[in-house]
Amino acid sequence: MNVPDNLRYSTDHEWIRSDGDRVRVGITDYAQDALGDVVFVELPAEGATVAAGGTLGEVESTKSVSEIYAPVGGEVVAVNRALSDAPEQVNQDPYGEGWICEILPSDPSAVDGLLDAEAYRQLTAG
Amino acid sequence: MNEASADSGNSSVPELGHSLRQTPLFDAHRGLGAKLVGFGGWEMPLAYPGGTLAEHRACRTEAVAFDVSHLGTVRVSGTDGFDRLQAALSNDLRRVGPGRAQYTHLLSEDDGSVVDDIIVWWVSDDVFDVMPNASNTARVVDAIGGEDTTETRAIIAVQGPMARSRLGTILPGAAAVPRFGVAGFEWEGVPCLVAGTGYTGEDGVECAVPADTAESLWAAILGTGVQPAGLGARDTLRLEAALPLHGHELGPGITPLQAGLGWVIGWDKPAFRGRDALLAEKNAGPRRLLVGLATEGRQPPREGSPVTKGSKIVGTVTSGNFSPMLEHGIALALVDTTAGVSPETTLAIEQRGRAMTATVVKTPFVRAGQWAIGN
Repeated sequence: MNVPDNLRYSTDHEWIRSDGDRVRVGITDYAQDALGDVVFVELPAEGATVAAGGTLGEVESTKSVSEIYAPVGGEVVAVNRALSDAPEQVNQDPYGEGWICEILPSDPSAVDGLLDAEAYRQLTAG
Repeated sequence: MNEASADSGNSSVPELGHSLRQTPLFDAHRGLGAKLVGFGGWEMPLAYPGGTLAEHRACRTEAVAFDVSHLGTVRVSGTDGFDRLQAALSNDLRRVGPGRAQYTHLLSEDDGSVVDDIIVWWVSDDVFDVMPNASNTARVVDAIGGEDTTETRAIIAVQGPMARSRLGTILPGAAAVPRFGVAGFEWEGVPCLVAGTGYTGEDGVECAVPADTAESLWAAILGTGVQPAGLGARDTLRLEAALPLHGHELGPGITPLQAGLGWVIGWDKPAFRGRDALLAEKNAGPRRLLVGLATEGRQPPREGSPVTKGSKIVGTVTSGNFSPMLEHGIALALVDTTAGVSPETTLAIEQRGRAMTATVVKTPFVRAGQWAIGN
């Protein structure tokens, strides 16, 4: 499984990339592989306020539905509308074109409490 | 991210550990990098690395091969075989003959509901291979007798518009079996059986091959350019074709009449299991019927979701998913006959607090080939 060194991770299999004030959020390679072919993504509303651990949206594959949880609390400032017509991007490019949304964290230091790549590799090993 | 509810119609009960049975092709699946899943007591390929959607499209446009060895085989032979099957099963074997296959049901004596749906391969005058669903084999042996030969063979389904032409490059005889025909062929000098049957809505055949010889036939079929496909694609394909899956559209409490499969009933037979209960339902009219529903968006409808008309619950989704060919949601649902629905009636599917508009449509949803169960 691909676990890029420059990202942070949640125990619920989201990845987080810091980009200035905001963070970009998606689901990990491990998560997309476990889901199988993604056919539908329910995106959060732009402008919505989410609590850390709150529901951001849903990812549905041909075999199951999974919730996406907010790794950090804050305001949703952007969503990846391209997934409405091309949800397969979540499988094909989970850390790139398959991103889910961007959040302006209410507590910028919250990102520091997330897993680093090595810790996430250990979580998903075996 | 966390799994909120995982049900595909494929593996409604998680089955883990080492108690699962493995088919003669298990090592081949692992070698191909298949994702494996417990289903009906067997450890089966869910999908190969290309994924369910690619496998689905390959079956609609070219050809794929499934390992369906998890289906049971019960060999019934002897001069009384015909009579035993006629007494136990709903369909009438007099409609066919030796060298033909027939879709049929084993019904409950009590309420006429479907204990199992079955394909019978009428191999020769006094020899029948009765093929139930994986987990129902013991019930079928109880009802009919015969010998459970499941362990002795593998079954490879080759399906798709190019199934026969590709199989024909190595096995021209097997590839020429008529639709719903049954014939013998040889692979590496070993006698095998083939039937012109399947579960995808496409043309194709199913080959029963002795366990020891199965891996070489599987490899040879893949060598003709046929791609392997798993249970995930098998489920989306059969749903587009509106073919029923036991435990969903058929099962305890669901009769063939409710499922729209009245043609599976041999009413001309004086007696068969469940006939009295089914006749009573026929005379009164079934209280609910299976309908096809199409939604507008990509979100898959899911089994168990209520179906509403206005503010009233009128039914339940029995199977639902994203249709890879139509690129929107499709579902089968049992709907109360009193609700008065017909094609183009607008209903809704309630799912996780939201309502999806769903239009009643004629099935099959996809008729890529003209093939569906029937004979």
